[in-house]
Amino acid sequence: MSEPTQSTKFGEEPESPQRRKVLGWLVGVINLLVVGAVIGPVLGFMGGPLARRRESPQWIPVMDESDLPDGSVREVKYAVRVQDGYRIANHEYVVYLKRNGSEVIALDPTCTHLGCRVKYQEEKSRFFCPCHGGVFDAEGKVVSGPPPRALDRHSAKFEGGKVWVKREA
Amino acid sequence: MEQKDLTPESPVVREPEPVTEEERLRRARPGLKDWLELRLGWWGFVRKNLDEPMPPGVGWWQTLGNLVLTLLVFQFVTGIALAMYYSPSPDTAYQSVKHITENVTLGSFVRGLHSYGSSAIMIAIVLHILRTFFWGSYKRPRELTWVVGSVIFMIMLGFSFTGYLLPWDQKAYWATVVGTRIIATVPLVGESLLVLVRGGEEVGALTLTRFYAIHIMLLPAGLIALTGLHLYLVRRHHIAGPVTPVKGRPRPFYPSQLFKDAVVVLVGVGAVVFLAIAMPPGLEGVADPTGTDFAPRPEWYFLGLYELLKIMPPGYEVLATFVIPGIISVGMLILPWLDRSRSRHPGKRQLIIDLAMAVILLIGLCTLKGILETPPPHTPSEASHSAAAPETATMAER
Repeated sequence: MSEPTQSTKFGEEPESPQRRKVLGWLVGVINLLVVGAVIGPVLGFMGGPLARRRESPQWIPVMDESDLPDGSVREVKYAVRVQDGYRIANHEYVVYLKRNGSEVIALDPTCTHLGCRVKYQEEKSRFFCPCHGGVFDAEGKVVSGPPPRALDRHSAKFEGGKVWVKREA
Repeated sequence: MEQKDLTPESPVVREPEPVTEEERLRRARPGLKDWLELRLGWWGFVRKNLDEPMPPGVGWWQTLGNLVLTLLVFQFVTGIALAMYYSPSPDTAYQSVKHITENVTLGSFVRGLHSYGSSAIMIAIVLHILRTFFWGSYKRPRELTWVVGSVIFMIMLGFSFTGYLLPWDQKAYWATVVGTRIIATVPLVGESLLVLVRGGEEVGALTLTRFYAIHIMLLPAGLIALTGLHLYLVRRHHIAGPVTPVKGRPRPFYPSQLFKDAVVVLVGVGAVVFLAIAMPPGLEGVADPTGTDFAPRPEWYFLGLYELLKIMPPGYEVLATFVIPGIISVGMLILPWLDRSRSRHPGKRQLIIDLAMAVILLIGLCTLKGILETPPPHTPSEASHSAAAPETATMAER
């Protein structure tokens, strides 16, 4: 490898080796600072959602108590106004409500496997996930298939003739 | 800053500049063409590439790289056009894509080119990879050409995953809900990664802007840089000839090989154009987060992964979502160092060929299973098994 030496290219040693080394090192440091000045803020900017606090859940009336006969399972949709990034949106949610006498349970329809929506099959009294074939019983417990755990539950109660639901994280 | 001084070990060997030719032209008061050539050196560059030596035995199998490159240019051009009409917000994304498809002049066609183009690239790039693999062309000195190519392939998968969400229809929304959910299975940091990718807990406005920015800026920037590097490396180390050398002398790239390239490009582009006209891209109902009767399906080239998930026993999903794809990806990246045998002949590197065949078979069978089990579009699966009646009016048919 024939690399032109300093003397042939620039005449007699314009800089001492020591000076070259220090300046080269300083350039490296400055470059690191410059890159950091853009990468640091941008990473923080993009990572913003990690730091955002969850809004505390609230009780929401979703249906009349009289519309939920004992032992039955009902799919209920309701909307909550939430902050969705730069906009306030009506986020619609679905829960399955099951009444056992004076008790009511609210099951989240999100399959615990990978987040597909489970569907209630009334004639079989079971929840079925169309993605990977997971099956849950009417109480949300796993019957068969890949789901690792029972359907998530939200808080639910009867009050003033209404069924109230509070979403849990 | 003198690059040379910082990297004295640089292996670049500079060829002497053709000074005499330059001098001759300069003295002869150059015309515009010569002046441009003196300033740009463009023709020399073109000439060098057209004269690139092709070893005997190189032919149709070596046309795939050019096809991928051409299809990529198509994606850039159609993508820029689509971005002029697209609006990345949950309130407007679906409407804007619907507008492109139904009202904009040639909108359905341009969207079709982009959509079928992405599938065509995937096919072409996989064939390109398989050719390189079986010819053993990734071996010394072309290891980095292979590595860069592998990263380009991964970038292409990223393009597909982020682009799939943009129409914000049911298919797009649910494939992204489930697809990003997979990220949460990554050990330890999964949940944080999920929030980072989605821009929040749920798939929403910030997921869409995030995916859009990644799709139209981050990935294209990476792709351009790496494609440039890939091409540079291909030219630096030249084309690897056939596994068993064929007698004869190398021939220049132009015209024989370039003609073959052109024919294959014509067929590939022709297929995309035909599909875009014959089967215009569809659009399902607008994304409905409350829908319970929609079975999410990823794009066909992710179906293999999706099926692999199905056959995993409960609790072992992380194998299908993280471990197996991770091993395959890393294996692909370090292939040139896994297979250190001197010979490029497939018969003399039995182990690596067998391993690759197993992986190809696994991906192929899973993908096939997924394609066969995909319900025909617009047929609500299990429609007869109607669930408990929703209490509020369904919002699906907006």
